[in-house]
Amino acid sequence: MTVAVEYYVLLSMAVFCIGLMGVLTRRNALLFLMSVELMLNAANINLIAFAFYHGNLTGQVFALFTMALAAAEVAVGLGIILVLYRNFRDVDVTVPTTMRW
Amino acid sequence: MVGTGAGPFSYAPAIALFPLAAFVISLVFGRQLPKKGAIPGIFATAASLLFSLWMFATVAGGETYHETLYEWSAGAVTTEVGAEEIAFSFGLLIDPLSALMLVIVSLVAFLVHVFSLGYMNDEGETGLPRYYASLGLFTFSMLAFVYADNLLMAFMFFELVGLCSYLLIGFWFRTKSAPSAAKKAFLVTRFGDYFFLIGVVAIASTFGTVAFAGEESFVVAAETAIEDGTTLFGFDAQTWVTITGLLVLGGVIGKSAQFPLHTWLPDAMEGPTTVSALIHAATMVAAGVYLVARMFGYYALSPTALSIIAFVGGFTALFAATMGVVKDDIKQVLAYSTISQYGYMMLGMGVGGYVAGVFHLMNHAFFKALLFLGSGAVIVLMHHEQDMWKMGGLKDKAPITYYTFLAGALALAGIVPFSGFWSKDEVLFDALIVGLEEPVILAAYAMGLLAVFFTGFYTFRMVFLTFHGEPRTETAEDPHGVGWSIKAPLVVLGLLAALVGFVNLAPIAKVAGMDITFLEYWLDGEYGYVEGLTYHHYHEMVAFEEGYIGSETTTMLLSAGLSLGLALAGAFAAHTLYNVPEPKRHTTKLGGAYTVLRNNYYQDEYQVWLAEGLTLPLARTADLFDRSVIDGAVDGVSGASLFGSSWVKRIQTGLVTNYAALIVAGFIALLLGLGLYGGWF
Repeated sequence: MTVAVEYYVLLSMAVFCIGLMGVLTRRNALLFLMSVELMLNAANINLIAFAFYHGNLTGQVFALFTMALAAAEVAVGLGIILVLYRNFRDVDVTVPTTMRW
Repeated sequence: MVGTGAGPFSYAPAIALFPLAAFVISLVFGRQLPKKGAIPGIFATAASLLFSLWMFATVAGGETYHETLYEWSAGAVTTEVGAEEIAFSFGLLIDPLSALMLVIVSLVAFLVHVFSLGYMNDEGETGLPRYYASLGLFTFSMLAFVYADNLLMAFMFFELVGLCSYLLIGFWFRTKSAPSAAKKAFLVTRFGDYFFLIGVVAIASTFGTVAFAGEESFVVAAETAIEDGTTLFGFDAQTWVTITGLLVLGGVIGKSAQFPLHTWLPDAMEGPTTVSALIHAATMVAAGVYLVARMFGYYALSPTALSIIAFVGGFTALFAATMGVVKDDIKQVLAYSTISQYGYMMLGMGVGGYVAGVFHLMNHAFFKALLFLGSGAVIVLMHHEQDMWKMGGLKDKAPITYYTFLAGALALAGIVPFSGFWSKDEVLFDALIVGLEEPVILAAYAMGLLAVFFTGFYTFRMVFLTFHGEPRTETAEDPHGVGWSIKAPLVVLGLLAALVGFVNLAPIAKVAGMDITFLEYWLDGEYGYVEGLTYHHYHEMVAFEEGYIGSETTTMLLSAGLSLGLALAGAFAAHTLYNVPEPKRHTTKLGGAYTVLRNNYYQDEYQVWLAEGLTLPLARTADLFDRSVIDGAVDGVSGASLFGSSWVKRIQTGLVTNYAALIVAGFIALLLGLGLYGGWF
């Protein structure tokens, strides 16, 4: 039994919107990272769903690449958060606002 | 008979390179050398003189030389007459005219170098290596200018001559007046050269060539254009030739000190007297008139340009002669006489008297070098006093200086049989015969004729005040002696001033029917010639009618008698007024005219006024325009973007959330825009 592709798209849209809301509303940097992770995985869902739908493995391979990328991104993101904490004793992203003109 | 590169002519470049070598040697090793650099200079100019004489003899043997030595730029262009390529090169043109001039220049330069031993070394001047280096460079530039085969090369060396005159006039740079005189000479001649440069560019872009001689020359191209009735840059071909000819003439007027650019020359007396001799007789000032002679074929195509040359020349001759009458400084008198004599040459050239002009150029080179060196000797005698009122009675104390100076003075005044008489008479005769048909030339002739009287007067006023009467100061009673290095050049030049006129005895030739006008044959290509550069050819090209009073011989005798009579009258007037034991100043009797003459017709004042009253406000206005409009536009652009960004930068809050929101909003806006544009809805 196969699930129609519209459901996959709806799921990925929902996950993406949750991630987006997290980025727009949360203040904790760790939650930021998690939200970004959600958005990336929404894209992964789309890639795999369409690969399956077209009977083509390229999308799945791309999903693997995205995972590797996400891992690297998390590493960098955590590094930034550590420095942020060291400087401000806090991981609230609204506190450091000096990086502007 | 254009020869090939073989034979003596392959050594021709050395004529100019010897003094260049002397320049380098004096500059680098001058301090260590005995006589501080004079020796290389003397040897180099002597070698140049010998080589020049060799070239002269070869040309007399019927060979000439026209060769491009180095082409430094060539390319495709579109010119007005249709020539499609142009080449700029260094080349040599040795024809009768340049061979003659090479001899004159190297001879005068050699004598000046020898004289400098007595005038500079023996008087204990400092900075001698610099002096001899500049002299060498000066001689090099002039010699290279003389045998240049194209207008651009001529222009380059013309400029170099101007630079050297700057260096030498400002030789005593610690005084206040010398640097200012040097600057003035440089700027005034530079002003004229600016027009010359435009003229060179105009000629190159019109005809696609800057060569003086041969089938490819701009003279031939201009002749063809006039015959074909071509339109050049929207002008009739002849008008365009006149315009470009007059542009080049700007350089001539500056260098040859013609009205109104003559003001630099009297100030140039600030340089050492030897330098004055070199500048006035053979190098810088002669360069202008020589250029007219060099491209005479081009001027011959335009009667308007010729008339302007003649009129400017005649006017300058009279104008400068009147100022010479009231000067007290011996060198100032000579300075004004130089301006006046170059006026005669221009008059001669302007009426188509190519031979007469060149003849006077040659004679003047010798007698003016003589007079300047003579005045240098007088200055040494008088312990560097130049005021003639403090001299007097030097006749018996320095007989060699006196008699050679007298020979120069007789030549300058134009008394028969000294050289100046023959050439000045020929200039005036040529002007008269053309003047009888052309009223403008007649006016120029009249001014030239009147100037003869003033020339005779100021020349003998100078001689009588300097050498005759009783000594008026203690220095004049007991003058400083002069050595052989001063006397020898004076004697050589004295003999030349007396005798060189015999190379072209036109009046005697006419009356007696003898073939003794050698200079005319020389320039007419009886010996060697370059096609299209002969007097004969020029004479056919000049479009002036000639008229005679009675027969040609009568006119000639009348003209000669008139100019000789006026010269003698001038000399006699000077004799009556100043050849007395205790001469008095008679200048006050001139009243208001004296003030005007003494102030040189306020020429300097009006030129300063032009600079300060006209050019300066104009420059200020331009500066204001630059700062307000142009800078304003540039500043306005940056000001607007600064102001704009000061508002736009406020969206950069520093809050990551805001940035994310902006990205999302932008993305949605982009999607909506694309959707609306692509018709998804």
